[in-house]
Amino acid sequence: MLAEKALELIAELQRTIDSTLGPYNEDTARHVLEEMKALFEQNQKDVSATVAGENGLFSGVQLRHAALERNKRCLLAYIYNRLQHIKKMRWEFGSVLPSDVKLNLGEQEVQWFGKYNKMLANYMRSIGDHGGLDLTQDLKPPKTLFIEVRCLMDHGEFETQDGNIILLKKNSQHFLLRSECEHLIRQGVLEHIVHG
Amino acid sequence: MTSENVDDYFSISDILTTQERLPCKVELPIYRLGYLDTSSTSDDLQPGTKLDLSFWMARALCSRKRHIVSVEMPRPYREGYREILTADANVVDLHKLGPYYYSYGVTVTECFQTRIRKIMDSSQNAYNEDTTKLTEKLDETEKCLFKAGQIGLNDFQRWETRQTEKLTTSEMVRSHRKRKRALMDDS
Amino acid sequence: MFIKDLRKGFYDEILHQRVLVLVAFDVDALCACKILQYLFQCDQILYTIVPVTGKEELEKAYVENSEGVKHVIFINCGASVDVVETLQPEESVRFYICDSHRPVDVHNVFNAVQVKLLMKEEEFDELPEYDSLFRDDDSDDDSGNDSDSSERSGKRKRFDDEAIEKRRDKRIWNENRQKILFEYNQFSTYGTAASLIMFELAWKMSKDTNDLVWLAVVGVTDQYIHFKTPRDKYIDDAMALESHVARHNHRGDDEDNIISINCLKIVFDEELQLTLYRHWSLFDSICHSVNLACKFKVWTLKGQKRLHEFLAEMGMPLSQCKQKFSSMESTLRHNIKQMIQDHMTKYGLTNQDVVIPSFSAQYGYKNKLCASDYVLACVATLENIDKNKSATDNFLSALDILQRVNVASLEKAVELAKKQTQAIVTQVQTFLDMHQVISAGPFLYAFIQEGTMDVKFFSKPQCLMRLARFTLEAHCSVSRNKRARSLPLVLGAPLDGEQGTTLVIGIPPLQLDDERKNFFGKAFEQAAVSTNSRTLHDSFDSYIMEMKTEDRSKFFDALISLLN
Repeated sequence: MLAEKALELIAELQRTIDSTLGPYNEDTARHVLEEMKALFEQNQKDVSATVAGENGLFSGVQLRHAALERNKRCLLAYIYNRLQHIKKMRWEFGSVLPSDVKLNLGEQEVQWFGKYNKMLANYMRSIGDHGGLDLTQDLKPPKTLFIEVRCLMDHGEFETQDGNIILLKKNSQHFLLRSECEHLIRQGVLEHIVHG
Repeated sequence: MTSENVDDYFSISDILTTQERLPCKVELPIYRLGYLDTSSTSDDLQPGTKLDLSFWMARALCSRKRHIVSVEMPRPYREGYREILTADANVVDLHKLGPYYYSYGVTVTECFQTRIRKIMDSSQNAYNEDTTKLTEKLDETEKCLFKAGQIGLNDFQRWETRQTEKLTTSEMVRSHRKRKRALMDDS
Repeated sequence: MFIKDLRKGFYDEILHQRVLVLVAFDVDALCACKILQYLFQCDQILYTIVPVTGKEELEKAYVENSEGVKHVIFINCGASVDVVETLQPEESVRFYICDSHRPVDVHNVFNAVQVKLLMKEEEFDELPEYDSLFRDDDSDDDSGNDSDSSERSGKRKRFDDEAIEKRRDKRIWNENRQKILFEYNQFSTYGTAASLIMFELAWKMSKDTNDLVWLAVVGVTDQYIHFKTPRDKYIDDAMALESHVARHNHRGDDEDNIISINCLKIVFDEELQLTLYRHWSLFDSICHSVNLACKFKVWTLKGQKRLHEFLAEMGMPLSQCKQKFSSMESTLRHNIKQMIQDHMTKYGLTNQDVVIPSFSAQYGYKNKLCASDYVLACVATLENIDKNKSATDNFLSALDILQRVNVASLEKAVELAKKQTQAIVTQVQTFLDMHQVISAGPFLYAFIQEGTMDVKFFSKPQCLMRLARFTLEAHCSVSRNKRARSLPLVLGAPLDGEQGTTLVIGIPPLQLDDERKNFFGKAFEQAAVSTNSRTLHDSFDSYIMEMKTEDRSKFFDALISLLN
């Protein structure tokens, strides 16, 4: 069937989109491009034959053209949806991706992530009064200045804004500035303890 | 849905929807594309051949100007099925009829109307329950609606018990960890 | 140095500072920690809390977490070690020790700069004089050195005489010092619960709440349940708490003052000393409670019969008392205390055996827990033997149980507590059936065999403590030896099969129960030194230690001759 490989890409995306991103499927993408090239060449041949006077080739051209369009759509959707996911990762993982996640990105995707990172940083620096505004902070409206946290893993030393060094060791408990530990909570290093 | 604005153009579910097949009959010969019909060995598709084509393909071949193939109404949407649906829409296993039933055939709106009541009811009242039994007979659109209802319900409960102020691990980080742990357990 | 005014001497000092809190593994410490956390959160004092199981971990935790910290709080740990000597802090660091372990190391008591003791000074009536322990030796040494370096023949003789005199003087003083120290350190006991001290701090600052009262209640009860404080001391503390309970739970009788059922309500009452009976069947509970089980000797046929008789006489159908207490007929359920008290004298039970002034907490409709059950649930979680959970995991889960919204985990903990209690009773029964409690002359001893069922439970100190006490009482109740009540007990449980280690505990004789003074700490140390046994005295409770199983016999020989 036509455009089958392209559909594979989409189906694969659909399977993995809810968890983490799978590896960029360069192989299948190349297959799709090859199929498109073959379709295009066949169409050109038929078109020049028609110009030369042959009849009845139009239906085939129409069909192949539809397949070309379909392939293009699938490829673009594949890339576009992956980019959306990578963009989201910047907000969820932070500016540095875990190495195994990064390994799944294609070369251009890594570049794109880097550029997005830089743009976001530049933008955040340009807004707000004093040296910018961190948009990744306070995603939920804060209720208290300080919060109680528990350490979920051995994370090593952590330097607070006032220069203190705190050792984040598994199962130790701390009372810290909310703004300082929000990122660590989102990264799963700390657990926020709320008293009901 | 066929209007290809930006949202739909990149939409995964729309691409999958338009992959559903329709029974078609070839009206004009299509040369050198005989391999589309797996039941014949001929090089070309001859007029009168009956075969199932994907929606996107059928649409390109069946415009008002040129009638290269003619399209029949797919079975689940024909009279007979519509009668079943009017009788009691709630018992039909839509997933079996096609996972993209509604978006594929928006014609059967009455059925949707009847079912939506039950879906909404259960999505608003099934708190802390295993909902797989409820959702397995639903079409993708219905599943989305059910999920939306559940999210609303859960968010409300969390707000009531003051859990909304709790900062949590990012969803992506969490699933990444889980996958890593699963990998470690396997090895 | 003792702090007289906790608020000025302690709390005001740490206000706006970052503090490190080191917490030991017992329920009282957990409660005290919880109270402190509440206060710190009120005043936005930044803290780091690290649980420590023993002296080694204490050192490690300090080294790891001390960077930039000027204030360190010890909860139920640290008093018995010379903290300044052991931890080598910078001069600006202050240690605050809130520890119920006694004796407190004399260096901690007399260090006026770096060590502050959050304890009640009036409890220290046997404290040695400063001058009998410390004197300015440096000047002596200096002059001695001078005399050495500046030996001049003419003056030499006079110096010699003086030096000899000085040396003799010093020797006598040293001997005297050793004696005084030995007397001071001889017995391990316990002072006021850390949680009660912390609660009183909160109260003085008008920051006490009903929840904090409950935490103090649980801490004080923990001391009693684990046989740390004698009954009289417990009752004193309970009475002090009763006034706080009354203050916080006083509501007028009129309708307007009724508070929501979901609020915590604490009630002071005479509580039956029956283990977990509200969550068990009455019959099971009686069989698993130290006092009643030993009075009836429930592990003998005769004892079972007497227990049945007792129940029958009370008018308590067997079918009722063998089903879950919560499903018992409500009239029986409500009158149970009165019924037992009415019929106990005939069976040789006294009021002291049956009831104790205690507290219970209620919130919501179905959550009613008495303080002792709460302690058992909490300690069972703290000493959970699940292999997948580390000690610190257990510490946090136990801390969560003290948060009263966690009803589900509390229910689980109660089940765990039942299992622990059952293991204890089964082990006691094995000891008695196999005659494994043996008199070594000056003391009794028993060892749990490797590979016994539930042996893992007893690798934890508090559970081992309860087992030891249950064993001793059970043994005394059946023993024909008149001296049994005057003998202490040493109990050993396999700790780590691979490393071949045993956990050993010593408890004082029942006869001296009014004081609960434990002399095994020093005795263990001496016996270990004299035989070169490989022992580890890591626990904050000196009467608990680890030893290599191979060294057992020579260690015991030494212990026998030492105590004879």
